Amino acid sequence: MHQSTRRRPGERLFGLLVLIASLWLFWQAYSIAQFSSLSSSGALPLAATAIMVVSACLVLSHTMRLPLTPNVRFVRHVFPPIVGIVVALIFMFAIMLEPVGFLLSATVFLFLSMTFLHRKGWVVSLVMTWASLVLVYCVFRLIFKVILPEGIIPERELMAAVSHWFNAFF
Amino acid sequence: MEALSFFAISWVSPELLALTALGTFLGIYVGAIPGLSVTMAVSILISFTFSWDVNNALCLMVGVYMGGVYGGSRTAILLNIPGAPSAIATALDGYPLAQKGLAGEAIGLSTVMSVIGGFVGIMVLAVAAPVVSDFAISFQPRDYMLLGVLGIMLVGSLSGNSLAKGILAGAFGIVIGTVGLDPLTAEERFTFGVVDLWNGINPVAVMIGLFGISEALTQLHYMDKITVKQVIHRIVPKWKDVKRFLPLSLQSSSIGVIVGALPGTGGDIAALMAYDYAKRTTKNPDVPFGEGAKEGLVAPESANNAAVSGAYIPMLTLGIPGDAVTAVFIGALFIHGLNPGPLLMIEQPNIFWFTVGNLTLANLFILVFGLTGIRLFSKIVECPKGLLIPIIFLLSIVGAYSINNAVTDVWWMLAFGVIGYFMKQYGYPVGPVILGVILSRLIDENWRRAILSEQGSLSGFFGEALTSPLSCVLMVTIIGLFVSHTPLWTGRNKNKI
Repeated sequence: MHQSTRRRPGERLFGLLVLIASLWLFWQAYSIAQFSSLSSSGALPLAATAIMVVSACLVLSHTMRLPLTPNVRFVRHVFPPIVGIVVALIFMFAIMLEPVGFLLSATVFLFLSMTFLHRKGWVVSLVMTWASLVLVYCVFRLIFKVILPEGIIPERELMAAVSHWFNAFF
Repeated sequence: MEALSFFAISWVSPELLALTALGTFLGIYVGAIPGLSVTMAVSILISFTFSWDVNNALCLMVGVYMGGVYGGSRTAILLNIPGAPSAIATALDGYPLAQKGLAGEAIGLSTVMSVIGGFVGIMVLAVAAPVVSDFAISFQPRDYMLLGVLGIMLVGSLSGNSLAKGILAGAFGIVIGTVGLDPLTAEERFTFGVVDLWNGINPVAVMIGLFGISEALTQLHYMDKITVKQVIHRIVPKWKDVKRFLPLSLQSSSIGVIVGALPGTGGDIAALMAYDYAKRTTKNPDVPFGEGAKEGLVAPESANNAAVSGAYIPMLTLGIPGDAVTAVFIGALFIHGLNPGPLLMIEQPNIFWFTVGNLTLANLFILVFGLTGIRLFSKIVECPKGLLIPIIFLLSIVGAYSINNAVTDVWWMLAFGVIGYFMKQYGYPVGPVILGVILSRLIDENWRRAILSEQGSLSGFFGEALTSPLSCVLMVTIIGLFVSHTPLWTGRNKNKI
C-alpha cells in the first residue's frame, strides 16, 4: 500500500479532531455498560471506539511527521469558497424545506445554485430550474408518490383544481 | 424446473421487463457521466423504492448496477475520463483508439466484450452460489463475525492509501450502525438521551450523504474541465474482431469473476488485473499497449462486468458485501425484508434465481442500449456540471426526506455529506464506513452469540476457533492482512529491494 508522503493543509487539525471525537465516543461507549461483560450491549461499541482511538493516534502521528504539500492552500484547494457557498445553499434549502415547502424552496435553491455554478445568465437558470423541477416533481411526486412538504403553497388544492379542469375538458 | 420459473419472472412480466430496461439505460448514463457513481445512484434509488414491491425495486437496481459498470467505459473512450473506477483501465487504450477516429468501433467492441464478460459471471454465479451457500450453512457465529471483520479490513486496506485510515473508517461505520436501542437488551447506545435516536441513524441517509453529497461537493473542484469531442463512425464491431478476441475475453472474464467474488475487491481491481494479464500474455499486438491496442480494451471490459456477478456470490450466500456498491445493495435487501446469507438460498431460492434471471436480462439490455444512441449519448454526457450538480443535490435531499418523511434524515445526510467530503480530501476511504454500518449488526449479534456459547471466556473463544479450519483461515487472513501493512513487514520488504 502506498502511503502519502506529504500532507495537505488542515490535515493535522482534521486528524486531531478525529482523535478528539474518537476519545469522546470511547467515553460514551464506556458509559453504556462499562467493562461488565464481553457479551454486553457495550462490548462492540467499546471495541470499535477503541480501534478508532488507536487508528486516529497512528494517523495523526504519521501526519505530524509529513511535510506540507507545496503550493496547496486550504481555502483554494481543500475547501474552496465554491464548496462553502454551495454547502450554505443546501443548508438554507434544508431549513426552508418544511416551513416554506418543497416547491418554493427547491425553486430558490435550484435557481441560485444554477446561476452561481452555470454562469449563463439568470434567464437560462430560470428556464433550467423550472424544467428540472417539473421533471423531478413529475417523476418523484406523481409517479413514485413521494410525499414532500407542502409549506405555504396549497399543493393539494392546486392539484385537485388541475385534475378537475383536466377532467372537465378531456 | 422451479429455478427456471423464478429465473423467468422478470422476462415474462412487462412491468419488470420495462423496469430492468429503464434501470440499465439509467445505469449506462449514470456510469458514464463523470461525477455520478453507481453507488450514488443505487443509494438514492433505495430511498425512493423501499415502499415498492421487492421484485420491482430489485429490477431497477440490478439494471442500474449492471449498466453503470458498463457505462463507465463510454466516457473513458470518448473523453479519457473514466465514468467509474472500473473503467480506469479501459481509458488506457480506449482513448487512443478514439483519437485515431475509431471511437465507434471501440465502443462497439467494449459493449460486446462487456456482455460476454457479464454472461460468464452470471454462469459462475448460478453454479457457484448454491455450492458456497451449502458450505456456509456449517458456519459458526464466530465465523460470521470474523468474515464481517475481514470484509471491512479488506475494503479498508484496498480502497485508500493507509490501512489505519481504512480501519478507522470501518470502525466509525460500526459505531454509526450501533446507534439506537440494543436489539437484544433495549439498552441505549450513543443516543445521548435523544428519543429520535432510539431507532438509530438510517443507513440510507448515511449512504446518500457519503456517496451522493460528498461526491457532488468534490466535483465542484473540477467545474472548469473542458471536454474533448470525438467523431463516431462504425459502431457494430467486426465479426472477425469478436472471434479473434473471444479467448482473451473468456480468460479475462474468469479473472474478473474470481476477483469480484473476493470481499474487498471490485470491478476496478479486476479490470486492472485483466489488463495486466492481457499485456503479459499478448505476444505481438497490432498496436503497442497504451497506444490503442484492442486487447487493452477487451480485457478490462470483459473483467469488470464479470466482476459484478462475482460480487453477488459472497453477497447472496454469506451476506458479506464485497465493496461499497454491494454494501448498498445489501442495505436495499435488508430494507425489503430479505436476509442475505446461506439461509436465503434455502428459505427464498426465488430471490436468488430471480436475481440471476434479472442480471441476464440486464446484460442483454446492455447489448441493446450499448450499440444504439451513441451519438445522442455523446451530447448528453457533455451536460454542464453547473446544471447537473444542483439536480444531484435536489435528488439527494428528496431521497433523504422520503425515507421517513422527516427533515431529520436530511440533516443526517448533510452531516455525513460534509464529513465524507473532508474524509475524501484527506485520503480517508468512505467505502468502509458504509460497510461498517451494514455489517455492525451481523458482527454484534454473532460476536455475542459466540462469546455467550463460551460462557464469556475469551480464551475459550480463541481455543475453539483454533480447532476449526475455517475460523483458523479467517483469523490468519485477518492477522496476515494487518501484519502486511505494519512497518515491520513493509520495512523488511523495502530492505530486500
